Amino acid sequence: MAELVQRLRRAGSSARLSKEAFHKLSAVLTMLILIVVFSIGNGAFLSVNNGLTILLQTAVIGLLGIGMTMVIITGGIDLSVGSVLALSGTVTGMLVKAGVPVVPAMLGGVATGAICGAINGLIVTKMRITPFVATLGMMLIARGTALQLTGAAPISQLGEAFGVLGNGSLFRVVEMQANGFPRVVFPGIPYPVILLAIVAVLASFLLRRRPLGRHIYATGSSEEAARLSGVNTDRTKILAYVMSGGLAGLAGVVLMSRLITAQPNEGVMYELDAIAAAVIGGASLMGGVGNISGTMIGAFIIGILRNGLNMSGVSSFVQQIIIGVVVILAVYVDQLRSRR
Amino acid sequence: MNQTAKDQAPLVELIGIEKRFGGLHAVNGVSVDLMPGEVVGVLGHNGAGKSCLMRMLSGAMLPNAGTIRVNGRPVQIASPQDARDHGIETIYQTLALADHLDAPANLFLGRELKDRFGNLDDKRMMSEAREVLRRLNPNFTNLADPVASLSGGQRQVIAIARAIYFDVRILIMDEPTAALGPSETAMVADLIKTLRAEGIGIFLVSHDMHDVFDLCDRVMVMNKGRNVGTHPIHDVNKDDVLGLIIKGALPDDWTPRHLEVAG
Ligand SMILES: Nc1ncnc2c1ncn2[C@@H]1O[C@H](COP(=O)(O)OP(=O)(O)O)[C@@H](O)[C@H]1O
Ligand SMILES: [Mg+2]
Repeated sequence: MAELVQRLRRAGSSARLSKEAFHKLSAVLTMLILIVVFSIGNGAFLSVNNGLTILLQTAVIGLLGIGMTMVIITGGIDLSVGSVLALSGTVTGMLVKAGVPVVPAMLGGVATGAICGAINGLIVTKMRITPFVATLGMMLIARGTALQLTGAAPISQLGEAFGVLGNGSLFRVVEMQANGFPRVVFPGIPYPVILLAIVAVLASFLLRRRPLGRHIYATGSSEEAARLSGVNTDRTKILAYVMSGGLAGLAGVVLMSRLITAQPNEGVMYELDAIAAAVIGGASLMGGVGNISGTMIGAFIIGILRNGLNMSGVSSFVQQIIIGVVVILAVYVDQLRSRR
Repeated sequence: MNQTAKDQAPLVELIGIEKRFGGLHAVNGVSVDLMPGEVVGVLGHNGAGKSCLMRMLSGAMLPNAGTIRVNGRPVQIASPQDARDHGIETIYQTLALADHLDAPANLFLGRELKDRFGNLDDKRMMSEAREVLRRLNPNFTNLADPVASLSGGQRQVIAIARAIYFDVRILIMDEPTAALGPSETAMVADLIKTLRAEGIGIFLVSHDMHDVFDLCDRVMVMNKGRNVGTHPIHDVNKDDVLGLIIKGALPDDWTPRHLEVAG
């Protein structure tokens, strides 16, 4: 009898394991279906160039999504990432204009994001304001600051070096043609994509192998249990928000570099794409669940969806409706899962 | 309690501990001490304040007033980490497990084993966890499952294992056998006897009269937040204890039982 129970339990656990795998598999399938549908709809969708465009778009959502995933695993949410992205990019542009070399200026942008994240974390843990309200406040504060600093005007003419991070690529192969014009054999792997890959690997390592990662999961799983076990849950949460803010800063630097202009109006509603990426990838808004590989798949789904809809000539208004539906569906699936 | 224990200084002294929640006086001027190698039963109705008192010693909750002494020295226990630093380990009534993590991750939560690069040493945590959990329950196999999927008994075993794996000198057990079957309960009783023999002091919160009389050296009964009596176990019988729990007092003509026998 006891053995039977044990067997049933084991069967149950393997069923649950495959359930998690099932979630990831269904996300990958969704992605493939989207690719097939858009390819049939438009021949140009499945080209190297468009692939790179998607990768570039995904890079920004992916960077935001990674930070968002960390915060969501702690049981929080970060609604400020779109605005923090804008503020960080703007600060970088202003630093460059003030004569600071590009690399330190960009680091300054990332630091700006991290500081916004630290403020979010302090408001959530020390003032005990819910993450939703705290980061909603930061969303307005960061956007307002970016607009105030620039008078809502974009900062352009930032120089060639400023555009390298967003527009350069590795392994670009260019061939000189007989007529004297260069021909691009392989456009190369864009720097933003390489950056995303590096950040994803580091974040994944942090979550799986570092004590801080373990504490992030524990805090989201049960904050009280984590606290009673000696985990500094406040510090854990603050660090998660700092990473989310810092990555939003990095995304801002990448995006503005790509535009070679610092745009205080950029990144509006990007937080929703980041949340959608994390949730589609299996992160639970109840906390304790989520991983980077899932979020990467989620970011690609959003990137492909936006790009494919653009190429199919779907208006940006209808795109918003579709993404909105996708977000609600993803959260609904999340709830079904945790209600189990 | 044996004679040598009586001669030693107390491991812990709680003096005049108070805890209020708004108008509710959950713990009202409670004093009690604990000797090395002694098991003190903490008894009382639901809501009497037992868990609150224990949580203040665990660092889970701050008292409004009162003094805590460990090995004769007044200490501030402001966090669970402070308590651990004094060798105080707790099995919480709520177990305090992180449901999404597996058994080894819960066992080592907050004091993970690390390799020389500071990375999690999950292999070693798994093998250590397997050893300590199997010792408490030979049927413990599903170590890699999130603990949410485990039975109440298995979860309780993890909470117990976590408290005794590390260097414990003072153990607080808040209804440790509530979710356990008979064989696991017997195992916990054996465990308590072993720990006592090692000189560890134990506060045992329990409703089980059999366990209390089998395991405790003294009992302390709480009623509406007050300590209504601390007695050597040989001085009281089951009816005395029940009277203390229910009425908060012993009969007027009460005398310690062992004197009765002797006289
Ligand atoms: N965190 C809290 N906030 C408010 N009231 C509490 C809290 N914890 C316990 N109490 C109240 O304090 C009293 C004592 O609770 P407790 O110590 O848990 O009793 P028990 O003896 O059953 O363990 C109860 O009335 C309980 O409702
Ligand atoms: Mg209790």
